[in-house]
Amino acid sequence: MKTIPLEAYLIVSIVLFGLGVFGMIVRRNLVTVLMSMELALNAVNVLFVGADSHLSLVDGQIFALFIIALAAAEAAVGLGIIIAIFRLRKVDSTDEITDMRG
Amino acid sequence: MIQWLVFFLFSGIAVLSALGVVFLPNPIYVILALLSVLVSVAGLFFIAGAELVGAIQLLIYAVAVTVFYVFVLTAVPWEKAIKKDPFYRVEGLISFPLVLALYVEMVLVFLIGVSVSPKGQFRELITKFGNTEVVGAILFSKYFLAFELVSLVLLIGMIGAVIIGRKEAQTYEDHSS
Repeated sequence: MKTIPLEAYLIVSIVLFGLGVFGMIVRRNLVTVLMSMELALNAVNVLFVGADSHLSLVDGQIFALFIIALAAAEAAVGLGIIIAIFRLRKVDSTDEITDMRG
Repeated sequence: MIQWLVFFLFSGIAVLSALGVVFLPNPIYVILALLSVLVSVAGLFFIAGAELVGAIQLLIYAVAVTVFYVFVLTAVPWEKAIKKDPFYRVEGLISFPLVLALYVEMVLVFLIGVSVSPKGQFRELITKFGNTEVVGAILFSKYFLAFELVSLVLLIGMIGAVIIGRKEAQTYEDHSS
């Protein structure tokens, strides 16, 4: 059985990661910034698993599991911070949070 | 042949929905596009032969995390935010070539790394025992400490989310504007 070559997974992963990073830069809304971050994490997972099927290893799949666990923790903490910001400040875009500016 | 067909189907859906995640204005449509990306990435995992990771992607990402995002979207008032321009257009145009250069560097580093890495170490084991058993065996022997540390990180994240998200007695006004 002929498997999908590594370059195909690489192209898909690079495109998804690029869109994720670009969304993190471009988006003005806090929750959509977090969603773009999830997109970038998923792109890394695609590359790990694709490289695994190319190399016949399983270490990349284990790291993909770790990334999924850490992404769940990151989503919980990040969305908690966003809800706290909304409740305490009533802001609605990232350029209104400027308290740390010198 | 059928493998390529399914691969192109899932990767096409993933890339189109990722475009939707970046460029759709309404947060509800964005979360639906993100759900589509997650499901098609799980399909890519199944094509690559990683059944365990694909199943966990469907269970944890496409169900738990997405439902969590939907809860947050319903808890937050979006009326003002939808009316404003949802993008930083100038900053995006300026940063685009820098991001592109970063990707070219990533591709080069990755291809160099693949050319020197070990190859085909577990192929007989995977065909003999199946993917999930091999993943479990390696996870609970070689990466056992990392596994325990991940459980600790999840506990700390849970405590942190509860502490950050609890109700406070007073609210703070925005003094910057």
